[in-house]
Amino acid sequence: MSTIDERPAPQADEPESPTNRPASMHLVKGWLQRPYVRRLLWITVAITAVIIALSFVMVALMNMSGGPASSIMYEIEKTMYVLTIACAPLMAATLAVLTYSWWGGWGSVKADETPAEDGPGIQTNGVAVVTWVTFCSILAGFLVVWGLVELATITSSSYGSVPANQQPNNVKPIDVNVTGQQWLWSFDYPDAGNIKSDVLVLPVNVPAYFNVTSLDVVHSFWVVEEGVKIDANPGAITNTGFTPTKLGTFNVRCAELCGLHHAYMETQVKVVTQEQFNSWIREQGGTTTS
Amino acid sequence: MSTAVAIHEEAHVPQPRQVGKPGGFLRRTNFATALISGIVTAAIFWVITDKITTAVAGTGATNSMALPSGLNINITMMYIGWVLGFMGGIGAFAGPIRWFLGHDLTHADAEYMAGKDMGREKFWKFTTDHKVVGIQYLVVTLILFGLGGLLAMLIRTELGATWTEVFNPNFYNSIIGTHGIVMIIAMIIVISGPIGNFIVPIMCGARDMAFPRLNALSIWLLVAAVPPLVSNLLMGGIRDGWTVYQPLADQAPIGMIGYQICIITFAFSTGIASVNLITTIVKMRAAGMTWSRTPILVYGILGSAIMGLVWFPMYQYSQILALSDRTLLTSFFVPASGGSVWLYENLFWLLGHPEVYVIVIPATAGMLEYLPVFVRKPLFSYRLAVAGIFGVVGLSAIVWVHHMYMTGWAPQSNYPFMMSTEMISIPFSFLVLVVLGTMWRGKPWKRLPMMAVYAVVWDKVIGGITGVFLSDTPVDQYMHGSMFVVAHFHYMLMGAGLFGAMGVIAYFFPKMIGRYLNEFWGSVGFWTAFAGFQLTFMSMFAAGLQGMPRRVLQFDSLFNVSNWISTIGAYIIGIGMLIFLYAIIESWRNGIPAPDNPWGGKTLENFTSTPVPHENFPVLPVVTEAPYNFGTPDPYELADDAIMQATEGAEKVSARS
Repeated sequence: MSTIDERPAPQADEPESPTNRPASMHLVKGWLQRPYVRRLLWITVAITAVIIALSFVMVALMNMSGGPASSIMYEIEKTMYVLTIACAPLMAATLAVLTYSWWGGWGSVKADETPAEDGPGIQTNGVAVVTWVTFCSILAGFLVVWGLVELATITSSSYGSVPANQQPNNVKPIDVNVTGQQWLWSFDYPDAGNIKSDVLVLPVNVPAYFNVTSLDVVHSFWVVEEGVKIDANPGAITNTGFTPTKLGTFNVRCAELCGLHHAYMETQVKVVTQEQFNSWIREQGGTTTS
Repeated sequence: MSTAVAIHEEAHVPQPRQVGKPGGFLRRTNFATALISGIVTAAIFWVITDKITTAVAGTGATNSMALPSGLNINITMMYIGWVLGFMGGIGAFAGPIRWFLGHDLTHADAEYMAGKDMGREKFWKFTTDHKVVGIQYLVVTLILFGLGGLLAMLIRTELGATWTEVFNPNFYNSIIGTHGIVMIIAMIIVISGPIGNFIVPIMCGARDMAFPRLNALSIWLLVAAVPPLVSNLLMGGIRDGWTVYQPLADQAPIGMIGYQICIITFAFSTGIASVNLITTIVKMRAAGMTWSRTPILVYGILGSAIMGLVWFPMYQYSQILALSDRTLLTSFFVPASGGSVWLYENLFWLLGHPEVYVIVIPATAGMLEYLPVFVRKPLFSYRLAVAGIFGVVGLSAIVWVHHMYMTGWAPQSNYPFMMSTEMISIPFSFLVLVVLGTMWRGKPWKRLPMMAVYAVVWDKVIGGITGVFLSDTPVDQYMHGSMFVVAHFHYMLMGAGLFGAMGVIAYFFPKMIGRYLNEFWGSVGFWTAFAGFQLTFMSMFAAGLQGMPRRVLQFDSLFNVSNWISTIGAYIIGIGMLIFLYAIIESWRNGIPAPDNPWGGKTLENFTSTPVPHENFPVLPVVTEAPYNFGTPDPYELADDAIMQATEGAEKVSARS
């Protein structure tokens, strides 16, 4: 198979003489003019576009059951976009070299015998190594910083570090005690006369904080469309929370294997208006403050 | 790598007195005696324990069920009896006993134990020759993969049949757990076992491993460890997944003890094998094999062995403590009596995460080892590859909490552990650059091992980006415990680990067996499995993104389509793997005989004959150059040099004017 490398090395453009441009610029220019480099760049661009398109598919899949239903889920989806798009060029470059080599862009040998001819003896390339390592480190650093900031953001909405008097519209947050046991969830509203329910009912746009525990083994309290998850541990109370921003019925699932009927340990969260919530509380025999 | 002749002459050593025929007790032991001895000892242990526990239970008790711990003590002692009896029956204790009797090992004894001039029966005995141990590991690995693969098919059958429950929940949960742990064990040993034992000493230019008898001990401990694990399916199962989180595992039936005994025994096996590999690699490399001339596979196995040695005890302790909770009613992990479930989770993941690198690093290093041979180019930036391997080994110590982001154990710790987890992608990126740089402008020789490299890098890119999602705590808050995680770690462990191992085994097969792996059936099997793999786990990503939790047997109809696709894909994997297995068996029996240097490599194993003779080399080799000195002068580089000289000249001219 004839390949690019079997052609005579391209006549790199002779430096216009005399010139004041540094030699490295000539090298980069010469490198970019190599035919395979151009092809690789185009493949990289194409794959990058595909990966960015895939990030929309991923988020669409996450939203199939009705999300995002809270600011936390919204932040999670935003992070999905950012992480995918940030990593896309690097992934694309890797896949580009991979497919180009596999496709035989640099030629290929199909034989039973070991090829007699050796390839170019490139032991290493300082410029390539330094560029790659720098780029990857900067990328990893960016991912870390983005992750830390996002984690701080969702933590402040999860653990109630925003004081009640700074809540939007001065609403009073609602506390719910969540108890997991094999294999059901129960919800306890201490602020509303300790009424109990096996379906989580929450008023929209009111921050809800959860004290989560378990009676027997480790469960995991996962409110899917709200993007919230925390383990329910026996002998300990864990905390999480969110502010539902969307009316509707969403899913609560157990996300930690908890025995035989783990698969059936699911219930619903009904996000309703404040009036509906109050009447639900009264139906259950509880007391409402508002 | 060229070798010079070194004179190696054995001076006459006065031998100790020979007692009986060479080999002594070991002449009578083999796998069959080990099985009988194991079963008999297990029965004896059961009976004695039953007597004692019945007596302890006090008046009126007719059996040990009267004790609060019930049958747990009996079963535990039975399994311990099995392991001790099996090891005694294979002859593992013969060495210390003969030493106590004052019978030192003579040269003739050692040669008998190494299986010199012995026929096929050496594969069924406590044989110390590293080549025999390597083959034994290969066969055990294949059996484990067969078992784990069968369980995987059962799992996918259950998940694909969305309209019914094929299995009862107890059996389903047990096959999930057994599939997980069987595959983890198989993946941990798949490279370090067969390749590490067979190839690494030859690659280092040694005559055997540093501790040949420990080598035999490690493989037979592994063989002893597996039956207790598999027997759990007959004894109520381990219905808790492979992680067996406490206190759920404390509720499990007695099958759980099989799991715990298996892990405790397997950890001894791994520790012994790791010590052996590390010592061999550090101390027994050939003259002239400096750390800059050591093949990259050797580095990979070294890194893997270090991680196994340091982290496996954590997992072992966790299981010892859990077993003590069951049998002695201690409360390490029982919250009601002051125990901590988080303690268990920490101990478990202290191995649980490095174990991923224990699996992936040798597969990657094996791939880097043969990639230069197939593109006929030097390994790109050898030092960066070594830095990458040890970067991963170092960072592997401080990332385990990313499995516990959502446990609520220490929300503050999510910040530093998210940082360390994302930082470990940097040494991995080194390895990616090494692969790409080696491919760069090379003409690939399209044989099965080379094609495996393409498959593995593809899987690693996908496993890598999804790993970036999962390492990010906010995203993990959605993904944790979902099918997305399952798909991600299958891309790393199976996509990169197992497919990489298939490439590595295909590469070393001619050296180990003496015959080439059948190229046609090997490739057909490999690509069929690879295609099925993409189908299965791509659609599993979709199920996870839609919000399907893992380890469930019934689920929302929203997830039906992706599960149907996954199940079809899984069956395709099964067919592909069977074809690959056929290729292995067929080539083992009548493949094309391999020459001394099957692929034109330059590492030391290519400088001895095939099949490898007893004690590997007629004379010990001396290494005089680096292992990847392929390649011709690069035309582009010459052109670049010309530009440099021309412009430098021009600059000088312009500076002067």
